[in-house]
Amino acid sequence: MEIHPSYPALASVVERYPAHGGPLFQTYNDILLAQQWRDVVVVDLGELCKRGAIKGKRPKTATDAESVLYIVPCSLAESISMAWIKDVFTALADPPSIYLAVASDDSSIVYYKLSSGIVKPSV
Amino acid sequence: MKDGCIPIRVANKRAYIWDVDADLMKIRSEHHICGLLVGTLPHLSQQNLFLGLPSQLMPEEATLLVEKGFAVFIDDAKAYPEPSPLQFQQWNAEQREYVKLQQTVLEAETAKPPEVAQRAMSEEAIRKRKERELKRQQKAAELRKREQAEDGTDAGVSQSVFAPTEEAGPSSLRPSTPSLSAVYNISVPAPSSSLNWYSPDSCAYSTVEAAKEAGIWDFPSNLSDRARYGVFKDLWDQGYFMGGGIRFGGEYLVYPGDPLRYHSHFCATVIESPTQVIHPMEIVAHGRLGTATKKTHLFCGWDDEKKIVSYLSIEWAGFG
Repeated sequence: MEIHPSYPALASVVERYPAHGGPLFQTYNDILLAQQWRDVVVVDLGELCKRGAIKGKRPKTATDAESVLYIVPCSLAESISMAWIKDVFTALADPPSIYLAVASDDSSIVYYKLSSGIVKPSV
Repeated sequence: MKDGCIPIRVANKRAYIWDVDADLMKIRSEHHICGLLVGTLPHLSQQNLFLGLPSQLMPEEATLLVEKGFAVFIDDAKAYPEPSPLQFQQWNAEQREYVKLQQTVLEAETAKPPEVAQRAMSEEAIRKRKERELKRQQKAAELRKREQAEDGTDAGVSQSVFAPTEEAGPSSLRPSTPSLSAVYNISVPAPSSSLNWYSPDSCAYSTVEAAKEAGIWDFPSNLSDRARYGVFKDLWDQGYFMGGGIRFGGEYLVYPGDPLRYHSHFCATVIESPTQVIHPMEIVAHGRLGTATKKTHLFCGWDDEKKIVSYLSIEWAGFG
């Protein structure tokens, strides 16, 4: 991980929260390289959540290309809770929604959009 | 019972509505609560599309209706006291009256046109028929005797085969047709209200607490129940209709209006406390199914200390 070209951008957060380094590293690379997001930055969620998150914009071709979105990585094996999710929203200054990146050991990732409140399906 | 209050009949701690026009329509149109029709024939179970009365209410629905003062619980098993002798006599008289009515109707329907019927059936006609037959037999007997006397052979034996004997006239011996009046139906009235000793008022409970004390109701009784009820009530307060969510792996399906007119937009799961464990796999499973069925999955988190609900809507992100 340390010799990967994207490591310097993650180093400070990974070293602070080594337990969550894996999913963060995996998600960061997927978002930056596979999903082609722009202005991708790693943010520290602080003492409440004890992990890093990712901030960025979707590719220029996407419908909501200019909105800043947040991605919170977690491992498939973790156990989370409503309180955990609420803390994440709070740490990110309550955006309308966040993306949860669920990373599994075989390096596949799925993204789910979590919106606070009752939000109608988009279709 | 208060005027206009909907009676919820409780049997074995389950809540039922038995009246379509007054009660079922009212809870649906005025209180947006649907219930579920569960009535079927015991030996001919129907598909759920064809079920009829009664309508069974979810415990949340029944509790909410009573708590809001729209309905009362009725301990239905206790609502049938022994009828007084007078009531019983009256009931008995009504039954007899009904049997009589049936007989009159039945006779009128089966009777032949009056003149024909009278001619065929009257005692006079039967007597005349008997006389005629008797005469014929006498004649035949005389004829036989004469023939035997004339040629002294056994010719009469072959003749007698064709001559009616006394036993050959069963119609003359058979008693007149049994009266149709022996046949009648017994009707069992469907609504209990038609029994005049039925007294629901004596075992009606207008609060959930009273019903719990009486031992006929126990919802909500624990954290799980409180969470379900809290979520149900909160969604109901916002004007949503709720149905069972089993088909989509949730607790409730949440409709923006009457389920007969709208598709549901949400499938809701109740999460009993802010610290209850959620596995990311659940988010994936619910989220994926919801998106495939054009529904958002709702995580409804109950906080039992603050008695509030917080919602989280889950959808597939659309990438990755």
